[in-house]
Amino acid sequence: MSDIYTGSSHARGVISVEKAPEKEIRTRFPVMTEGQKNVLYCIISVFLLFLLLFPLFWTLITSFKTETEIFQIPPTWYPHVLNTKSYAAQVENGDFNMFRSFGNSFLISVCAMIVSVLLAVPASYSVARYKFVGRKAVMLGFLITQMLPVSVLLTPMFIIFKNIHVYNTWFSAILADATIGIPFSVLILKNYFASIPKALEEAAYIDGCTRFEAFYRILIPVTKPGIVVCAIFSFLYAWGDLAYGMTFILDQEKRPITAGIFNFMGQYGTKWSYLTAFAIVAIIPVALIFIFMQRYIISGMTSGAVKG
Amino acid sequence: MQRVRQFFRYDNIGLLYILPAFIYMMLLVGYPIISNIILGFQDVTVKNLARGTKHFVGLQNYITLFHDEVFVKSVFNTLLFTVVCLLFQFFIGFALALFFTRKFAFAKVVRGLTMIPWMMPMTITALMFKFMFSTDVGIVNYILKTLGIISQNIDWLTNSKTAMIAVIAANVWIGIPFNTILISTGLTTIPQELYESASVDGATKFQQLIKITIPLLRPTIESVLVLGFIYTFKVYDLVYVMTEGGPVNSTHLLSTYSYKLSFDLFKYSQGSAVANVLFVILVLVGLLYMKITMEGEENV
Repeated sequence: MSDIYTGSSHARGVISVEKAPEKEIRTRFPVMTEGQKNVLYCIISVFLLFLLLFPLFWTLITSFKTETEIFQIPPTWYPHVLNTKSYAAQVENGDFNMFRSFGNSFLISVCAMIVSVLLAVPASYSVARYKFVGRKAVMLGFLITQMLPVSVLLTPMFIIFKNIHVYNTWFSAILADATIGIPFSVLILKNYFASIPKALEEAAYIDGCTRFEAFYRILIPVTKPGIVVCAIFSFLYAWGDLAYGMTFILDQEKRPITAGIFNFMGQYGTKWSYLTAFAIVAIIPVALIFIFMQRYIISGMTSGAVKG
Repeated sequence: MQRVRQFFRYDNIGLLYILPAFIYMMLLVGYPIISNIILGFQDVTVKNLARGTKHFVGLQNYITLFHDEVFVKSVFNTLLFTVVCLLFQFFIGFALALFFTRKFAFAKVVRGLTMIPWMMPMTITALMFKFMFSTDVGIVNYILKTLGIISQNIDWLTNSKTAMIAVIAANVWIGIPFNTILISTGLTTIPQELYESASVDGATKFQQLIKITIPLLRPTIESVLVLGFIYTFKVYDLVYVMTEGGPVNSTHLLSTYSYKLSFDLFKYSQGSAVANVLFVILVLVGLLYMKITMEGEENV
């Protein structure tokens, strides 16, 4: 394994030939080469992955089974009769239509994302660069907001939204969802802005930029990866929200997909072929984000949490 | 005007950049927190929500709560739920993180894929686990029966003795990736030479874990546990979708009970009081977290 003998390949060969049989006798387990270890670990990791993601596989498989096959004992490990009706019904008219809820969720999440990013970018630049009056108090406020349980905000928000007449509209969910995205984004982006050398900004001033121009033209493009992280997480928070969408929007045709699915579970509790198909459809945006933007997600999870 | 300009000349210009976000958060978070505290001292129900006759009743709501069996049960449940979830997700997450620091071809890709549960909407996770734990079609019962562990199907979610187990299992599933990724990141900060010199000195893998990895990982472990506590303590969607707090209130957490009081029973003030109890506990733990992470860091 070590390359002490790289000087002479002949010597190295001789030694390994001599040593190999000894090792077999001395150790109880055969010593593995790096290559064998690699293969073994890869196999273990795939097995672990299967175990961890089993609920997802199972949901996916079930969504393509017929209702009778789902209730079959012993369960089948793949759909013997392929059933795509549960997916088709989601875009057709009727009780099983989830297309509309999907659209609602998408609209709400994108708007909440835009609101979060637009407000969080200047705010995080400000806390990273300027030591203004009350800066620490503001930061503490953002930190605490991140730890808030939804239940604290639900009732008062409910009353506010009723009073300003946005209750039972998309706006209520958008406004509420952005309150999760903003503090998260500020805390993440703060680190990005703080890591940009001041010289970059100063160079822009020398070239005749105003403070705002320097921020807008120079700093924002540099922090783009951070902004992407914030956008993704703000979107995901809003996409996963159930409490706000369910409490502030009453009409089923305006509700997000999470509330739609929850509602459906109450009405048709055991229609698992439809329910699992809804679940898969609701995961599609998450899966797409994951596939195309995985590195941003990991960076968001770690910097957001550890750095606080 | 001169003085205004003077004020914004240097660092205070930062106030202008933060103002929009600050106002937004004050209106939609700051104000609700305060008004929730006030609500907790009033007698608002569906009858006087719209009309202006809200009386202050002092600590009455809180006194009622402490005599309320369901509330006491929810406090107990929340603690049980949080502690058990933390234990499982931490140890499984830790083990996975140790495994994924080994060098092999799939390490990064597979570790990345294990993040998926954390990103999924909780409603969907709840649905999947409700399906897997259902009595007749549930795969959990089937597997346990095949392995000979049980002889009859268990009514996981409809039995007040077992519902909590199913809910905890679902939440642990969500929490594992979070623990894995944070601990993995922490592990990369430990210098590799320490392990090399330790193994030269004849330390076993287990000794290295106890003497090197865990002590050096302490800051990470602390923040993972405290953050995990905060996230778990306030879980709402998952439990609400899986059991709605039932059967017979056996899975009610502070968050779900608060929701039930406010939006099913329309006792807004009592619901707010429960939320305030939850809030106070979280703020205390949050301050602890800040104390841990801010140590040595002078900038907030």
